[in-house]
Amino acid sequence: MASRSRLTQTQAAWLMLAPFLATYALFLIYPFFRGIWISLHDWNLLAVAFNPDAKEFVGIRNYERVMWGKNITWSLFNAPVWQALGLIGLGLSVFLRRMNRLSRFNAIALAIVSALLVFLPGFHPGEGGRWYDRRFWPTVGNTLTFVAFAVPGVTISALLLAAALNRETRAMSILRTLFFISQVLSVTVVTLIWQIMFSPRQGLIANITETFGGTPINWLTDQQFAMAAIVIATVWWSLGIAMILFLAGLQDISQDIYEAAVLDNAKGVRAFWYITLPNLTRTISVVVILQIILHFQVFGQPHLMTQGGPNDATQVLVRYIYQTGFRDSELGRASAMAVFLFLIMGSFSIIQFVVGREKD
Amino acid sequence: MKHMLLGAAMAAGVATTAPAQEITLGRFFGACEDAGTDTTTSSGEACIIQSIINAADAELDGISINTLPTDWGNYYDQIKAAYAGGTPPDVHVMHRHRVPEFAGLGAVAEISGELEAAGIDPSDWSPAALDAVSFNGGIYGVPMDFHANLWHVNMDLMAQAGLVEDGKPVLPSSPEELLAQAQQFKDATGQDYLAADFAQFPIGVRVVLALMWQQNANIFTEDGTATINTEAGQNAVTAITQLFDAGLANPQLNYADSQQAFLNGEAGILVNGTWVVDFYTAEAAKEEVGLDSYYVADFPTLFETGATWADSHMWAIPASIEGENRAAALKVLAFINDHNIDWARTGHMSVRTSVVESDAYQALPHRDEYTGTADIARDTPPSERYGAIQDVLNRELQAIWLTDKAVGDALADAELEVQDLLDR
Repeated sequence: MASRSRLTQTQAAWLMLAPFLATYALFLIYPFFRGIWISLHDWNLLAVAFNPDAKEFVGIRNYERVMWGKNITWSLFNAPVWQALGLIGLGLSVFLRRMNRLSRFNAIALAIVSALLVFLPGFHPGEGGRWYDRRFWPTVGNTLTFVAFAVPGVTISALLLAAALNRETRAMSILRTLFFISQVLSVTVVTLIWQIMFSPRQGLIANITETFGGTPINWLTDQQFAMAAIVIATVWWSLGIAMILFLAGLQDISQDIYEAAVLDNAKGVRAFWYITLPNLTRTISVVVILQIILHFQVFGQPHLMTQGGPNDATQVLVRYIYQTGFRDSELGRASAMAVFLFLIMGSFSIIQFVVGREKD
Repeated sequence: MKHMLLGAAMAAGVATTAPAQEITLGRFFGACEDAGTDTTTSSGEACIIQSIINAADAELDGISINTLPTDWGNYYDQIKAAYAGGTPPDVHVMHRHRVPEFAGLGAVAEISGELEAAGIDPSDWSPAALDAVSFNGGIYGVPMDFHANLWHVNMDLMAQAGLVEDGKPVLPSSPEELLAQAQQFKDATGQDYLAADFAQFPIGVRVVLALMWQQNANIFTEDGTATINTEAGQNAVTAITQLFDAGLANPQLNYADSQQAFLNGEAGILVNGTWVVDFYTAEAAKEEVGLDSYYVADFPTLFETGATWADSHMWAIPASIEGENRAAALKVLAFINDHNIDWARTGHMSVRTSVVESDAYQALPHRDEYTGTADIARDTPPSERYGAIQDVLNRELQAIWLTDKAVGDALADAELEVQDLLDR
């Protein structure tokens, strides 16, 4: 009886796991490797659907056609600002590590990011050269810009809101619900609301600027403002979850610390800076990394609000993948881009994993 | 037990096939909730087409039609994905410019041999309409309309600017005249002369294309060479940018905003398609709308040859459907073909000679004002990459008028990218 139950424990475990594993393999593992497989082919969406032999194995040519070009060279002064920033970062990571102001992990992370910043922007087409796909890297740049504004935007505003609403009154609980409600809406509704808000003719924002005697901005069709408009809509939309996470984190902080701090005359902003923030670092890093992974996949907002325009100013990676795959039917090329996006998000997931372990 | 189950299943099968053949239908044009089944009174593209579909559902024996929810912007992506997944709708609308792509792959059915049996007379289609649905000698759909860019005119503002003669608007016949009249208009009314969506949807592209065709040029040749960075390209673009530079038109308005500007009486002319003629007619009749006196004009000829951008809507069935389903789908096509006059109420031009010659058609509002459009209707040479090419042009033209990119640079970049697309 005992030996039988020991055997069945493993078996039972597999049995219980089987439905999950089967689903996981079928809907995640298989499509993932299939995607990589497709990315190695010249694969027309419709042609292959009607004739499975219409694909052609091309090795890494899709990757080359998307990411590389003719006569690509590397130099240190191609993008001086970014590369200089990278060099400063490299110097800082060494210096701060020597001074023991930075943990080993953080120093390595900073060094890697800085090295990439020196290395990647250095590539450019040389004499008579060109990128094979002139839109890919600008699109990656737009995606990074979006992430760079949306993530701090969401994190900071959610943190401030959570700090302000972290009280046990009825009004505060109503406000908490109100701020969370936007999160429940679908992207179509959110973009519709904000398209109306941003409209230079009937929008709320335009009406306010006009009352103060200004000329309304064409938010969605002005190259300088289109990305900002999308970031604003996104911050408003994805504030809720971050706020809830912060509220949970805030409630974990013992009231005793605040009471002790009051005796030392640390209240309000000072208490927030010296007590709340240090106690929330773990939550903040979780929120930041979740937001980074989430916002790299941005699609609906630019697709519905600006159609990637004007002049590609809001074209983002997922929308480019979608267009390449479905509008242009070039599934191989689209898959190559998707693999690239996977690598970016995968690296952030690894960072999250490592950060999570280090603090435990 | 097994027999009983089988028997029950068979009985159920018989029971469901007998009463109605369900036909799934994919379309764009937008949603219309309460279209009803009266095809003669509905208005606007969405409601007219839905009323025709509802009427087909009600009147065709043994056929029920299920209209799939689809949205304008993603229509072709959805249709392609449906074809790729092997579940295309039984009947779907498409543009003529997509025929090379869909027919070339064998996705949509060649139906020339089945038209007459279904009650469709292809000899009633105008030659241009037959051409629109033809590919490599076969017929791949039933044409529904020609649609083209028009100049929608606010006659009150034009009269105020002294640009009306014999009840017709005075329109330019050269880029210089365009600028002069636009200035005259602005001085007299304080409003913009011209509005159009130059910022999002490719209305601006279609204007530039028309102006290139008017110079007997094109963006690429039939053999696949991009010819955009040319004198004709420069002329076409500067004819428009001179208006922006002089503050006589606003490039930043999108579709909804440019339309609103025109309806509010804040622009003399709106460049938009045939699909809004009935809508603007209805709006102009309303007390609260700024536009009161509405006129529709052919796209004026600013260079040597008359030309305006045009396309066709058509209905197709997938090559894969067979048997009763196919027969039912063809009946739906025939029903839509029979209601061509109702669809023409939108403002679109009819494809059927018998409809074009009918009194009902000629009596449609403003119809006599743009009779020249049929003769100047044009489009780019057929290409499987039509959508991507339009997108390149839209981006580079937006770069010119929204971000001050130099015309030569933008046209050179557009030429490079279109060439890349043609070479792929």
